[in-house]
Amino acid sequence: MKNKWEESLATLSVGQQFAQKVKDDARKDKIRRYAPLILLIIMTMIGAVSQKDFFTWGNVVNIMYQMSIPLVISVGLTYVLLLGSIDLSIEGVMGFAGSFVAFLVVNNSNSNDFGLLGIIAVVLISTLIGAVTGFIHVKARIATFIVTYAVGSIMTGVAVLVYQGTPIQVKDELFIVLSQGKLLGIPYITIIAFLIFIAGALILNYTAFGRAVYAIGDNETAAASTGINIGLTKIKVFALCGCTAGMAGILQCIRLKLGQSSIGLNQMFPVVTAIVIGGGSLAGGKGGALSAFVGVLIYTELANWLTLMGVDPYVKKVIQGVIIIVAVALTINRTRKTISK
Amino acid sequence: MADKKKKISISDYSKYMCLISIVLVFGVFSVVIPNFIGAYSLQNMMIEAAPLLLMAGGLSFVIYTGGIDLGAGAMVSCTCVLTGIYVADFGNLIIPIMLAVGLAMGLINGLLVTKLKLPSFIVTLCTTNFWSYVALTLCPNGSEIIPMDKRFMVRWATEKVAGIPIMFIIALMGVALLYVFQQYTVYGKSIFAVGANVSAARLAGVDTDMAQISAFVVSGGCSALAGAFYAYKLKSAVPTVGDALTLTAIASVALGGTSMAGGRGSVLRTMIGVVTITGVTSGLNMMGVDPLWKDIVIGIILIGAVCLNSDTKGRDLIIK
Amino acid sequence: MGELLFEAKGVGKTYGANTVLHDIDMHIYGGEVIGLIGENGAGKSTLMKLISGVEKPSMGEMFLQGKPYSASSILDANHQGIGMVFQEQSLVGNLTIAQNIYLGREKEYATCGFVNWKKMNQDAKKALSRIDMDLDPAKRVRDIDFAARQMVEIAKVLDVVTESANGHAIILLDEPTTVLSDEEIQKLFVQVRNMKEQGNAVIFISHRLDEVLEITDRIYVFKDGEETAVMPTKGADVNLLYEKMVGRATTGEFYVESKQTVPTEEVILEVEDLSLFGAFNHVSFQLRKGEILGLCGVEGSGKEDICAVLVGDAAPTAGKIKIKGKECTFPNPCAARKKGILSVPKERRDEGMIGMMSIEDNIVISHMDALSKHSFLSAKKTRRVAEDWVKKAGVKCFSINERINQLSGGNAQKVIFARALESGCGILILNHPTRGVDVGSKEEIYSLIREMTAAGNSIILLGDTLDECIGLSSRIIVLRDGLIRGSFDCPVGDKPLQLDIVQKMM
Repeated sequence: MKNKWEESLATLSVGQQFAQKVKDDARKDKIRRYAPLILLIIMTMIGAVSQKDFFTWGNVVNIMYQMSIPLVISVGLTYVLLLGSIDLSIEGVMGFAGSFVAFLVVNNSNSNDFGLLGIIAVVLISTLIGAVTGFIHVKARIATFIVTYAVGSIMTGVAVLVYQGTPIQVKDELFIVLSQGKLLGIPYITIIAFLIFIAGALILNYTAFGRAVYAIGDNETAAASTGINIGLTKIKVFALCGCTAGMAGILQCIRLKLGQSSIGLNQMFPVVTAIVIGGGSLAGGKGGALSAFVGVLIYTELANWLTLMGVDPYVKKVIQGVIIIVAVALTINRTRKTISK
Repeated sequence: MADKKKKISISDYSKYMCLISIVLVFGVFSVVIPNFIGAYSLQNMMIEAAPLLLMAGGLSFVIYTGGIDLGAGAMVSCTCVLTGIYVADFGNLIIPIMLAVGLAMGLINGLLVTKLKLPSFIVTLCTTNFWSYVALTLCPNGSEIIPMDKRFMVRWATEKVAGIPIMFIIALMGVALLYVFQQYTVYGKSIFAVGANVSAARLAGVDTDMAQISAFVVSGGCSALAGAFYAYKLKSAVPTVGDALTLTAIASVALGGTSMAGGRGSVLRTMIGVVTITGVTSGLNMMGVDPLWKDIVIGIILIGAVCLNSDTKGRDLIIK
Repeated sequence: MGELLFEAKGVGKTYGANTVLHDIDMHIYGGEVIGLIGENGAGKSTLMKLISGVEKPSMGEMFLQGKPYSASSILDANHQGIGMVFQEQSLVGNLTIAQNIYLGREKEYATCGFVNWKKMNQDAKKALSRIDMDLDPAKRVRDIDFAARQMVEIAKVLDVVTESANGHAIILLDEPTTVLSDEEIQKLFVQVRNMKEQGNAVIFISHRLDEVLEITDRIYVFKDGEETAVMPTKGADVNLLYEKMVGRATTGEFYVESKQTVPTEEVILEVEDLSLFGAFNHVSFQLRKGEILGLCGVEGSGKEDICAVLVGDAAPTAGKIKIKGKECTFPNPCAARKKGILSVPKERRDEGMIGMMSIEDNIVISHMDALSKHSFLSAKKTRRVAEDWVKKAGVKCFSINERINQLSGGNAQKVIFARALESGCGILILNHPTRGVDVGSKEEIYSLIREMTAAGNSIILLGDTLDECIGLSSRIIVLRDGLIRGSFDCPVGDKPLQLDIVQKMM
């Protein structure tokens, strides 16, 4: 690249060189945008070669089932990462939502029976927690990693407090139906997850709010000058992330029929990895619903494959860590004089 | 002019916050709990606080740069396990070995942050996975007790000199060293300069990469010592000991009035923060409050302290 | 000429004790293009900020179509019919063209919160066709080239503004041609004329006088925050404009010329054929011991980038830097400092002052290697050094433990000068050393600069004004569009005229 520039030093004026630079950046960006798709194809091919029944309906449904909860988490997290922020409270909120919903519906430890109402209440509370997180971030001007880290710890604590140390077993009819039922061979959980994801994608792509999120992540000053209410948009994003984290927690509780704080454990990090693999950027402004989907799919196939190869779950986490460092390092914009702290 | 006055009063408040909170905490608990300030209780608190002092002291340096080390707890777990398992082979030589291991861990973090220009929270989250992997694979059955016949090697740490546990004395000495490092070395000054204004520090010719790396190295070393102390204290290798400690350590630093945005703070203030938090947790414990509340209380303290420290009037910086 | 659209009466702007814009009167009529010229710091951009609602004037009044006018934000100004096309682009790269044009105004296209992109794209198409652009509005801004982005930005501003002021809009174009090719410039001019014919007024700011003469109807000339001339373009020529743009030269003693050193023959720094892609090309010069070398040029001429390369803040695409005959490369400013190059940065608050640290720390920060033994700093030594400098540089403060951000601009700048002098670096790059500094401190800073050279340091100076640059320098290099266009010797008593230099600059 440098050599090519050196050649054109003599022939172009600085203005033209600048325009050339902008063009080059645009082209690089395009290549980067298609890289995840290529990676997906490669992963699928590896899957197909190493597993002979990879392309059976059963396996496809299986992968869809495995990716359902990460997909739900990815909805809110995509918004947060688009802003250039991070939400480390997802695991805590998930744990809380799962524990609290188990507490509210028919279970083995108390006589509550709020059913659907309980689910709605938990989703609302999770949304509120997200909104409060966003509010503290915006009003007190504190970096999100620290606010969300603290909120996450608090929510984990609250979750444990809800069930007083002994995980609650869910006995609710609704939960049992949802966890076992299938439509056309697809589990209800997967269908619900995909519906949530589609709703999130629609909001992101077809509303002014969604565009505002993109604009803030790309160029906050420009966004402010067009009259977008930056603070409110950010609070809404965190509320939405809290909402989807809550829903993910409930789904996880449905799946396991157990309410405990650890259902959120190690759920956030893989999704961050997935979104970055899919083309998102921790610096904000890049990615979107589709790329999050591609990322989660790649990630699920990878995890699936690692399990198949009999890799230890802790090693899997280490691999995750390496992947995210590599992915972030590859996508980071080094031309800007950024200094990371 | 009026603006200037206001600024001073805010910073004054955060300056005295650590003192106000420590007086408040110990005042309230000594009234509520009769023997809160008794020799036994204080000794317990000192042993409780010793490793945390080191850990939070080291972590402070990363926070001075404006970064964060979310892997400090995992490093504690990892070194606690290593110490617990190998103390039988190496004896007390294990402490310098652990220090070296910790420095190396910090170096890895520092290199990843500066050379790859990644945000520190993501790097340290990633390396957390690695440290806890080491801890959990070495200790697959939960925890490993130091064999009885080797206990004599580790007993000295919890012995008392003039009523003060040796471990606490060492931790205090560590804090004193950290204070010297912070106040009187090129590294210390560079670390603060990076946190206060990284582009100005860079243009002034400060080696900003070196400053950031050294902050992570210090944090790693201190966490490793803390890990060794936990092994000595618990007389076993516990792979989950550090899980909740990162939060406690960050909250202690914040409670000391150190700004999360970097550039100002002191290990002495962190020390007061640690003592306050230890006071809170032991106080709640002695009052018979369910230990499940601990994380919630510390989390709320963290948010509250950070809110008080943050400069809401600040320049038009974009905070993400 | 159409009706009077906009009027400014005695408008001015002060920042603290600094007056950057003084007593400006301006009339803008519908259907005319107004040129605004002046060298950097003359006050053009400040006036634009006042009109476009970025900042509020400190004095004077403005009228829009006869009614008093004030705008609290860019958006507010837009709604009243005034829009500015910014030099640094205010588009959002990851949104489509249509989404950018209607960013913040999506409500008009939304049903139940969901936006009808199709309809928006159609309207965007119309907005683009108004300025004869045939672009696919569904394309992302990041994927189109720079000239097209500029046109999108114009389309956006035009759309917002004309909506609220049919045919009476005022469009401000700030340096729109810097990165365009000749062909693209002509295209832009066609659009400017178009807007004019529709009854709108256009304010055109440019450093390129030939363009100003080509496109405008009337020209306002600014100098040092004041309006020095208003003239119809017919009858004006380049030389007349040059003349109006330069002010009277200040007497030599203001710049302590009596202490100007005669540079020795010893070459300290040699730059050979240095280029940075997209910023400057083939720059070569020599810096001698004890010399002050002034770099002159308008914003975007590449002088800032040359500094950035020399202090290790940017890597050059090609070329060599030699210090005392030895070739060097600097991966970062720290390496440059170790080789003996340090800068006093332009943005004092953001790049110079380490705000939360004390005066003492700010002074010694660049020289800690020498003040320490095995990395341990001697508190006694650093205190003595800092106290010495505070006295020598005349910093007014209670104690050296005071935080630097509690000092006034001039005093803080003196601290940063003290840092540069203490650093022991032989080559100092002073980037706008007197920016935002009151007159008293200016004089003290000038004497400090003279002392620097007397002590054998060499200086590369980017002056805040042309006058300052001529007054201080012993040699001047003029840059335009990233190339060296001329070089002047400035011995005491035989300083070049501002006019000569301005002619090379623009």
